[in-house]
Amino acid sequence: MKNEKRKTHPISYISLILFFSFFLLPVLWILYASFKTGSSITNGKLFSLGGFTLENYRTIVQRGDFLLYSLNSLIIAISVTILSLFTGIIGGYALSRYAIKAKNTWISIMFIAQMFPGVLLIIPLYDLMLNYHLVNTIIGIVIAQSTLTIPFAMWLLKGYFDGIPRSLDEAAMLDGAGVLKTLWSIILPVSIPGVAIASFYSFVVSWGNYLMVSVLVQSNSTATLPIALYRLSSSLTLQWGNIAAATIFIVLPTVILFAIFQRWLVSGLLGGAVKQ
Amino acid sequence: MRTYKGYIMLLVAFGITALLIFVPLIIGINLSFTNRNLLYPTTQYVGLNNYINLFHDPEFWIAFLHSGILVSVVVALEYVLGILLALTLKQNIPGIHFFRGIVMVTWVIPIVATVIMWQFMSQPGYGFINMILTSIGLKNYATYFFGSMTFAFPMIMILHLWRNVPFFGIAFLAAMQAIPEELYEAASIDGASKWERFKYITLPGIKYTGLIMITIHVIWTFNQFSIVYIATGGGPINATDVLPTYLYRQVWSNYNIGYGASIGVIMLLILLAFFFIFNRTYGRETT
Repeated sequence: MKNEKRKTHPISYISLILFFSFFLLPVLWILYASFKTGSSITNGKLFSLGGFTLENYRTIVQRGDFLLYSLNSLIIAISVTILSLFTGIIGGYALSRYAIKAKNTWISIMFIAQMFPGVLLIIPLYDLMLNYHLVNTIIGIVIAQSTLTIPFAMWLLKGYFDGIPRSLDEAAMLDGAGVLKTLWSIILPVSIPGVAIASFYSFVVSWGNYLMVSVLVQSNSTATLPIALYRLSSSLTLQWGNIAAATIFIVLPTVILFAIFQRWLVSGLLGGAVKQ
Repeated sequence: MRTYKGYIMLLVAFGITALLIFVPLIIGINLSFTNRNLLYPTTQYVGLNNYINLFHDPEFWIAFLHSGILVSVVVALEYVLGILLALTLKQNIPGIHFFRGIVMVTWVIPIVATVIMWQFMSQPGYGFINMILTSIGLKNYATYFFGSMTFAFPMIMILHLWRNVPFFGIAFLAAMQAIPEELYEAASIDGASKWERFKYITLPGIKYTGLIMITIHVIWTFNQFSIVYIATGGGPINATDVLPTYLYRQVWSNYNIGYGASIGVIMLLILLAFFFIFNRTYGRETT
């Protein structure tokens, strides 16, 4: 199909332009603004040659607290990813490989867990965390955000493991490797796309999460970037230059990760549903 | 393989899941039968009172209606636009691989950033959209769209579309590429028109992917809190209020924990009912 010389209809060019103007303009526009001075952003002209500056980024970085929020965001996102991967791999492998009783029930439970509204879960989580002094702690935030990522990670990895021939495990076990060794050195290396997407998904969900942190963060010491950005954008004096730079600051890591992981994205996200 | 090891692994994984998700869920359901309020020292069981109050709460019904409209309109548009995007990305346009690669980037951008980008686009005076409107002579329509009773809700829909249409497009593209080319060739020989080939080969070929995408996105859209909360907070007045934002206000502004929990339980029941019906209708076709 790739080699086929098919005529491209002119409408598809128009459609491509329309779609990508819609998708890319908001990103490019704020990127452009992040390099402009405050007055040249608000002068009402679409394009002006002057007024370029790096001052917005300097302001954001020099604020100092933004580095703390970045560090918090990073530590939380990495922890959420590790916890989700660990749970997802162990549970997904058990569901994929073993003759477990009422297997379909377990799988349904995992699927239904994805339906639980985050706004509902955070209520009892907050109540519980009050008792265990986990409110306003990094650990508390990691736990709360993991409730959003673990079911999907397990579902995704189970689907991925299903696509790997059982003969691989059996050969390794015949050679005397234990379950964990088989999983670690035989199965995981051939599951890189699935594991990569489960990690990517968990990281991105945590990095961008606002709901859980808006409840659990009660001081600057545990604040994350989404909180900081929201505060900046809802302050009374809108400094669009700074807001734009901070927006790029929070978006950039996800875009870089996306560039690395995007080739596995669809096959990973939809599991066996899409055969490529 | 020795099954007991499987049970140990399952026990560890589901133990973590139970501790983090199912125990809180059960406590949450339990809370919905109480009058727990963070401002009151004592908590009592009130039976179904919260649910009865919900039934008579006009604000709840407004949010309920908005959630229903949002999910149906947004997911339906995502499906249609996703097919159009997939058809576009399927063409042999120079550089198409670049566009295929980059398009899903909207999906990974943190929602706070997405909302701010669109708020910036909609600023009166210097927002991109309003400058364009002004320059083509529609200055009268230039306004801060998120603050407008008329445009705020459509803007919320646009934000959802912006975020999710690329995912639909890429998923449909993958499904279309998996349809054997011979089917199209055979149909052409039999004299099928372009539209007929699309209708009888492409559409059935992407149906399974489409059902999965609908399932996932009904959940995500229905439970989506941050887009509305950050963009408008549910306002102006109640114009964009949906169930997650109404629940959040009840709990974290009014401290009505029991009442808020009952809204969450209703949300969960709605989703479960949707799945039951959806599975009954389409389940057999996909397995």
